[in-house]
Amino acid sequence: MAQFVHNLTEEVPALVNAAVTYSKTRLATFWYYTKVELIPPTPAEIPTAIQSLKKIINSAKTSSFKQLTVKEALLNGLVASEVWMWFYVGEIIAKHGIIGYDV
Amino acid sequence: MVPPVQVSPLIKLGRYSALFLGMAYGAKRYSFLKPRAEEERRLAAEAKKKPDEQKRIERELAEAQEDTILK
Repeated sequence: MAQFVHNLTEEVPALVNAAVTYSKTRLATFWYYTKVELIPPTPAEIPTAIQSLKKIINSAKTSSFKQLTVKEALLNGLVASEVWMWFYVGEIIAKHGIIGYDV
Repeated sequence: MVPPVQVSPLIKLGRYSALFLGMAYGAKRYSFLKPRAEEERRLAAEAKKKPDEQKRIERELAEAQEDTILK
């Protein structure tokens, strides 16, 4: 029993250290990508965004979206679904539950 | 490591506006559903009262009519 406790107190710090180092490197990679990819748009970028939106609306009006390849269209659809999923993530945050409203 | 990709501002704008719209929708729907659920619980509790009362009366009658000497 005493031997068990002794082993435990020796090995637990090592395990905790290993876990901390592992998560630190992962966190660093995560932060490295998040800083560029997941930040909200700065106010300076909003006109560019509105321009892109106008281009899309234009391509819908002039039927030039039919010139897209199927691969491009699929990719656009995938990106659009990802953007729409953020809506559901926001809803989950607001209702404080994953499935169903907790009334 | 792959360099991080430059996300188009339209996509960023779309993502964050969808996030905030979702939060607003969730909050509104929650505040709409909460009083309705409470009302329904109240109604269910009231509708339960009468059959419960009946059962209680029946149970007491049955107990009074039992002729066992073990009481």
